[in-house]
Amino acid sequence: MTTERGNVVRVCRDGLYAEYAFNEFDPNDIGSVAEKLKSTLDAQLKTIAACGVQSYKTGILPDEKCELFVEKEAGILPENVDAKELVDKFTGLSDKGMASVEGALDFMLNGTSTHISKMFISPNRFLRQSYVYTEGSFATYAPDKNGELKMVYDGVSGCGGAEILNGLEAAIANAPTVMADMVNSEKIVPGEYDVISSPEVSGLIAHEAFGHGVEMDMFVKGRALGSEYIGKRVGSDLVTMHEGALCDESVTAYAFDDEGNLAGDVIEIDRGILKTGICDALSALRLGVAPTGNGKREKYSHKVYTRMTNTVFDSGDSTLDEMISSIDYGYLLSGMESGMEDPKHWGIQCIIARGYEIKQGKLTGKVVAPIVMTGYVPDLLGSISMASTDRGVYGTGACGKGHKEWVKVADGGPYLKMKARLG
Amino acid sequence: MLERIKKALSSCGCDAWEITESAERGWEFYFIRRKLDQHRAVDVKTYAVKIYKYIEDNKFLGSASGEISPTATDEEIAKTLSSLVYQASLVKNPAYTINDKKIDIPDVTSPVDVESLSRDFIEAMLSVPETETEYLNSFEIFASGITRRQINSNGVEFTCTYPSSTVEVVVNAKKADHEIEVYRFFTSGECDKEKLVSDVVSAMRYGSDRLIAQPTPKVRGIDVLLSTDDAADIYRYFISRTNAAMKVRRISDYEIGKPVCEKFEGDRVTVEALSRLKNSSRDIPVDDEGAVIRDRFLIRDGVTENFWGSRQFSSYLGLEDSSDVPNFFVHGGNDPESVIRTGDYLEVVEFSDFSVDTMGGDVAGEIRLGYLHRGGKVTVVTGGSISGSLAESAPTIRFSSETVQYDRIVIPKVTRLGKLRITGVVDEN
Repeated sequence: MTTERGNVVRVCRDGLYAEYAFNEFDPNDIGSVAEKLKSTLDAQLKTIAACGVQSYKTGILPDEKCELFVEKEAGILPENVDAKELVDKFTGLSDKGMASVEGALDFMLNGTSTHISKMFISPNRFLRQSYVYTEGSFATYAPDKNGELKMVYDGVSGCGGAEILNGLEAAIANAPTVMADMVNSEKIVPGEYDVISSPEVSGLIAHEAFGHGVEMDMFVKGRALGSEYIGKRVGSDLVTMHEGALCDESVTAYAFDDEGNLAGDVIEIDRGILKTGICDALSALRLGVAPTGNGKREKYSHKVYTRMTNTVFDSGDSTLDEMISSIDYGYLLSGMESGMEDPKHWGIQCIIARGYEIKQGKLTGKVVAPIVMTGYVPDLLGSISMASTDRGVYGTGACGKGHKEWVKVADGGPYLKMKARLG
Repeated sequence: MLERIKKALSSCGCDAWEITESAERGWEFYFIRRKLDQHRAVDVKTYAVKIYKYIEDNKFLGSASGEISPTATDEEIAKTLSSLVYQASLVKNPAYTINDKKIDIPDVTSPVDVESLSRDFIEAMLSVPETETEYLNSFEIFASGITRRQINSNGVEFTCTYPSSTVEVVVNAKKADHEIEVYRFFTSGECDKEKLVSDVVSAMRYGSDRLIAQPTPKVRGIDVLLSTDDAADIYRYFISRTNAAMKVRRISDYEIGKPVCEKFEGDRVTVEALSRLKNSSRDIPVDDEGAVIRDRFLIRDGVTENFWGSRQFSSYLGLEDSSDVPNFFVHGGNDPESVIRTGDYLEVVEFSDFSVDTMGGDVAGEIRLGYLHRGGKVTVVTGGSISGSLAESAPTIRFSSETVQYDRIVIPKVTRLGKLRITGVVDEN
């Protein structure tokens, strides 16, 4: 149980923005905080001047009048969780998992429920929100025939209380089959294949391909190729992608962002055409566009950057069976492990847990693992030829900006058929 | 605040406790090209509390951890501690001993001058030489001084002040309309100006080389050579398997006195745990649970010599003088870099993301920039990936006698591995 409280003040002087983050103060002596803020930032300016540094001049952020109070529903608040009941339940699930997964050396469960209360105050805005998000996961590992350990991981998440953890039981039910697939897996023969991405892999592709690629603070720095492709084709007609905290009731379904801008639902790609990106407030001011409610901090003491929330492909009109039937030779890709983007050159790397072989329109039962999928984003999205009617959104992971600033994000989509290079 | 928490702990019903008070004073500067975009200051204090509770006649020892805000009221502190005691009473971990040895080293109290540290980093970055075709895109400087005070109910007490810094740098290289980006993330204690500038200049050179790179051909049967901090992940695989928790959880099959590989075709790895390492971002002699960190060999000449880790898992292995370890020194090999670099190999200096799975040993990474050394000729390549398993390739490892430091780890300057798959993107001519 952790209670984190803190404050951050953003100021602008002569066009230069600065922030002071603190968490220890006497509410009856705010003057002392103000004095410390001023003396600290002045000392920084003195250092900057001594180094001969020039600064950018940015205008004053818009501050239209707005008052908001949002309190989202949650079944079981973290502070009201019956810890004994939860521990007993997890112990039972772990025992059941150990008994059902052949060769399992351990079966671990994790559950986290976070209650967030945020307040944003500016001369004209007074915004308050309170919401809870919960995530739970399990991981189990077992040796294959060569003694190499194979891991199976899955989880549940969403905007809501600890009742979300009830979904773990269903997720765990698949663990024995998936582990059997993993321990019997073979190495893939590198090459280009017709593939079907499962919804969590589609989400990983969405996140890496046109999540980071259209974070518009990267446009300000000239770090994203996306800025040159607004209005141009970047995918097939089947590719429509949304981004925003309003897109799904996930772990990042807030009402306003960390700069006091209301949450949004941006259509980044509409039937293959790149329409726009997502933007924090200061970058929006620099670029002359409206902020999209994507200014997020890792925590109060960290800087705001343009960050993703829910990044999701729209569904299509095919069934998974139709998609499998359409493939002469390829793989159904399942289980995401990690990914990396390259917004400047649109390279993409996704590490995927396993692939199920498809031969002449049928799953053969052969499994390959692990898989490194690489490629050029417009080629990958341009090759999408089928999308399923259903879709899933997943939020058990976290996303970094570069190698730091970890925030909660969610992503997803339907099953997608495409051509990809696998190794 | 510390006294209020201690007072509340004395009546909360726990059997033992630890408190870590951390005060961070940090300065941050965000640059686009050479101009300042924003600046920030961080002045925060945290109180981390860990509660222990014996269960069923000391058969089990449960623990629960939490953080208490410095502005918490006495009622809030009592409520948090009460909740932690209850949670700890539900955690049936086999009993283990909590640190009770008096710390026999003096507190580390040299103050960190955050202002001076910031200035060193700003001056270093502004001294990076640029040309028309190689230049800074943006950089972020985080300079902080951290004071950590630890106390526990067994009388352990220690205070340490240390610097912890990060510089994130993006550089560009350009040829006509084609611009390449290279990303670097440096962590350290203080500012080693010469090394920082040198590393940024190297990144620019890699950017320029990528402008002329050819698609990676489908080569087979040649070694992979790593000469950047990606190689540290290879050594972290060995280090993780000497971790007590990995051993107790049966992820590691290492045993004291037994070799880490069935047979060695190349060099034998030697890894030493270090308490202090100059310019490390965690140059601290006491671990988070109040145990003094002792320098010791974890693996010597390819043979496991010691495990390390938290009090709980070390205790399960019967290690009474163990600790968590902040810094590691991987000894160099027998041959210099020039010898390791003989023959044909693919040197990869930029991956999209280099990943080594510490559990199964799977290795994967998309190649952003590599140098294919073949038949005395060097071809700059990009695209494709490498993959494989350290279970197969670790016995082939060879590494240079020269070493290099990447923040908290010192490793051989170059590392060469066989039996990894190279997935090229074009057929060979």
